[in-house]
Amino acid sequence: MKRTVWCAAALAAVIWLGASPSASAHAVCGNRVFPATLTMDDPGVGDELSLPTIQYLPIPATGGNSAGHSVDYGFEWDKTITRDLGFAVNDDYFTQHGGAQNLHGWDNLTVTLKDELPCWDTHEFLASVGVIRNFARTGSSQLINAGAIGNVSYTAPTLYLGKGLGDLPIGYLRPFAVTSELSRQFSDSPAISPDVWAYAASLQYSVPYLQQHVKALNLPSFMGRLVPIVEVSLSNPDRGTNTGTIAPGLLYEADTWQLGAEALIPATHATQQSQGTGFIVQFHLFLDDLLPNSLGKPLFDTDLWQ
Amino acid sequence: MSPRYFTAIAFAASLFATAPARAHAFLDHASPAVGSTLPTAPANIALWFTEHIEPAFSIATVTDAAGQRVDRGDAHVAADNPAELEVGLKPLPPGTYTVHWHVVSVDTHTTEGTFNFDVGK
Repeated sequence: MKRTVWCAAALAAVIWLGASPSASAHAVCGNRVFPATLTMDDPGVGDELSLPTIQYLPIPATGGNSAGHSVDYGFEWDKTITRDLGFAVNDDYFTQHGGAQNLHGWDNLTVTLKDELPCWDTHEFLASVGVIRNFARTGSSQLINAGAIGNVSYTAPTLYLGKGLGDLPIGYLRPFAVTSELSRQFSDSPAISPDVWAYAASLQYSVPYLQQHVKALNLPSFMGRLVPIVEVSLSNPDRGTNTGTIAPGLLYEADTWQLGAEALIPATHATQQSQGTGFIVQFHLFLDDLLPNSLGKPLFDTDLWQ
Repeated sequence: MSPRYFTAIAFAASLFATAPARAHAFLDHASPAVGSTLPTAPANIALWFTEHIEPAFSIATVTDAAGQRVDRGDAHVAADNPAELEVGLKPLPPGTYTVHWHVVSVDTHTTEGTFNFDVGK
């Protein structure tokens, strides 16, 4: 037990090493706060934890296979290295009941390195560049053998953009914002698993922005923290069919956390054949607010772009 | 309890127990209210934030439609409320005015914002 206590103390000490010069921000640019999106990444770098992200998808009966459903339990941890450079680690535990067969196991691990470019605050414009690396064969062999997850790793240079419409002359349109993500997934073995273009975009209307910067409407506190949103994600492989979803939903922005729920509607014919309309829910913690002196601050208190 | 679980619990407890949650300071409400129209000019502006703010690094200014400062340059955190920022105003003729605020919360997060209000329109 004594050794265990020392281990715990050492771990805590590592976290507390060094002074706390300043905490990092989540994706804030001028008047705009870009919330965490559920089916795509936001345009900023931050200290955040999505735990859990739960996705439910019904599986239609096809070709002699019975109907079923899949449930995915995911997490993502985002950590800042400097104030504008961070990495993310994400994975998920996949379960499928019915369909072609019952399945369960861990997905392949994904790691992202992301750099946030200087924000253009008067126009609420934020951009980041990143590299996503998916490590094949880190997930369940059962899922790999069933073809549920990839058996070839890929690397994806990715561009993230966010633009708030706060510079529009019409007040009630100013709470709108759009974000987008564009990436090219380069497969380690394109002959086995093709390269893929992946696109995603969101359109969001921030009621907090409306209340704070346009017009205080004296809404009930709960309504004043809502962000209605629609996210669209499309995947276009060099060989094969296009897949994608349209995800309308609602985000609730608390001071230190966010709760989001969206429907997952198939956006292409191929997607419709493999899944029905499901949903995704996510509980998201802002570690920079919850733990500003430990996990929520950058490892190095500097900016790459200063 | 196994040593592995004890270590994990001690680790998590050390993080959460000693660091009270302090979020970004966002505007909760203001007087005059955001986007409001007043029949007569107010004598000062008051801004209430969602978190306590640092007096040395928190400021508010007010400009008219031509971009000229119309505040008295005396922005300060209220003595009885560390989450309230006040600034006095010069006499204002009818027009549209913009409040600019820039604050640092007590856990060093920086936030900023603007909003308009109208007088006598």
